[in-house]
Amino acid sequence: MTKVQLNAVRKQFGGFVAIENIDLEIASGELVALLGPSGCGKTTTLRMIAGLERPSGGAILFDDQDVSEQPVQDRNVGMVFQRYALFPHMTVEKNVAFGLSVRGTPRAEIADRLEEMLDVVQLGQFRHRFPAQLSGGQMQRVAIARTLITKPSVLMMDEPLANLDTKLRGEMRRFIRDLQQRFGITTIFVTHDQVEAMELADRVAVIFDGHLAQYDAPDRLYRQPANLDVADFMGATNIVPAAMKADDLAETGVGAIRVAPRPGFGAGENVQVMLRSEAIDLMITQPTQGGVPGKVVARDFFGASVNYTVDCGAHRITVTEQARRLVEVDTPVWLDIDPDRVWLLAS
Amino acid sequence: MSVSSSIASRSGAQERMTARERRTRFWQMVQLVPIMAILVLLFGGALVLAILQSLGFAPWFGVNTFPDFSYFGALWGSSTFWVSLGLTLYYATVSTVIALILGILLALALVKTFPSKTFYKYLYKLPLMIPYTVGIALAVLMLSNGGMLSRLAAFFGLIDDPAQFPQILKTHYGWGIIAVYVWKQTPFITLAVYAVLLGIGRETEEAAAILGANRRTIFFRVTLPQILPGVVSSTLICFAFNVGAFEAPFILGGGFPDTLPVVAWRYFNDADYTLQLQGMATVVSIGLVAGVILFGYLAAYRRYERRMGRN
Repeated sequence: MTKVQLNAVRKQFGGFVAIENIDLEIASGELVALLGPSGCGKTTTLRMIAGLERPSGGAILFDDQDVSEQPVQDRNVGMVFQRYALFPHMTVEKNVAFGLSVRGTPRAEIADRLEEMLDVVQLGQFRHRFPAQLSGGQMQRVAIARTLITKPSVLMMDEPLANLDTKLRGEMRRFIRDLQQRFGITTIFVTHDQVEAMELADRVAVIFDGHLAQYDAPDRLYRQPANLDVADFMGATNIVPAAMKADDLAETGVGAIRVAPRPGFGAGENVQVMLRSEAIDLMITQPTQGGVPGKVVARDFFGASVNYTVDCGAHRITVTEQARRLVEVDTPVWLDIDPDRVWLLAS
Repeated sequence: MSVSSSIASRSGAQERMTARERRTRFWQMVQLVPIMAILVLLFGGALVLAILQSLGFAPWFGVNTFPDFSYFGALWGSSTFWVSLGLTLYYATVSTVIALILGILLALALVKTFPSKTFYKYLYKLPLMIPYTVGIALAVLMLSNGGMLSRLAAFFGLIDDPAQFPQILKTHYGWGIIAVYVWKQTPFITLAVYAVLLGIGRETEEAAAILGANRRTIFFRVTLPQILPGVVSSTLICFAFNVGAFEAPFILGGGFPDTLPVVAWRYFNDADYTLQLQGMATVVSIGLVAGVILFGYLAAYRRYERRMGRN
């Protein structure tokens, strides 16, 4: 179990700055996701922690020890690559045992730990197969076993589920989470999929253009994004401009909306109001207090849930609810919005 | 529809399928005709003719003692043949191995990022565009006793006279021949290995490094097995060329006993036309030796591939 810290870490490739002064603290045994769009620098950050890239500035600390200059071989970290990076000329068991054999572990110990690890990833029956003879999920498990057998102090995963189909991805998410909790290993994984990040991680670091935009627990990141970019990346659909009339009242294009007061967003401020689609109640009759009137103009049925697009005049608001009922298009409705679920963002 | 009529229609469909398959197969054969014509008529025809001549069939020279193994007997019974064979294989093997080592090192360097990489990527290919004869001329200009190196050594006072420069060319050590082959073939092997390295990417090497492997282990246990297809194909071509090459050993070699291609050339160039049959026996011997070695090499590689699960 290792605590990982990044202190003002910076990475420059020629004239291009890939990472700009990132500060990050990952607690021992924590599972952290580095989330961001392609090219934002999340993989570069991971590679610096692994020792595959040397930071241009700042320091990387493992348990308060500076490892920035330490060669990759001496860091005792593990990495699962997006395309698995299995050795194609080695069988499953040789792949898994590779890390121990290059470290000079005695043969008897290698054999014991190999059995144990193949059992953990349930690949005993495939031990003599080559990577080309395995499915994507099996290759992924070999890659994980090959890493875990060396008992790394930090486990890193670079888009570990990107090459798997939807069903397998769900299974592998649970598998990774179970494994991480079982071994209690500090884990950092890179993803551009916010759902994956929220499902797996204890905390999520959102990176845009080499800058750390927000580092928070998944629920806070989802409900209380730090800025418009984070809100947009986290899939917020209803963001409307507003003027604050009072600390708890925002005047929007769809009418006045009660909000939970937030420091720094007082009367007279121009703000953006974020309404999470699933936090809005779609009412057929006008609620006793307030309610934003509108008309259903589109309905997207997803089986378990249904999305309604409601025309409220100046804006169209998306409402998501469980598909226990289906409201017809053109039905006049009212939107009931809980002030505690409205989030204010700086314009 | 009755059972019998349904079976009849099914067997009719099968017949139609067979006819379609036959047409497809015929069309495939037609498409193969151009390459087969070249292989069978030019290469195969020449090979058959060479074997026939080496066995005494050359009525156009007034010789027809077919089947006559005396040409092979005379050749293989001579001790100089075996020395010539040894020299041929020595030059071919040493230059291929040196070019392979340099080619792999160069290819490994080229996959890394460094300043002016694009320039070096063009520069290393330069010898590929220059003919062997120019390389031989360069070797004479640089390495002979009156060449650049000997004059530079004399200029800097390392030797009193360029003639005192150690003999590099025209010895049976064949340094000149090896130098020319290595100069020409290193870029070729680099090109083949570099292409394979680009294909496999750097992830497996990085994975091995993270798992604790040092550079040497990474090369021998991770990189080399993956670049073997490029290594085998390029060294196969280089070795086959070196065994049969004539100009470099002829100009830069140490004289009698010559390499086998030079021996063959001397027979062909003799005023006595009947010696051409002896020359053909030499050529067929070169083909046999090269064929056996290359077949063994490929068979060993194939066995390794099968052991690695590649069928």
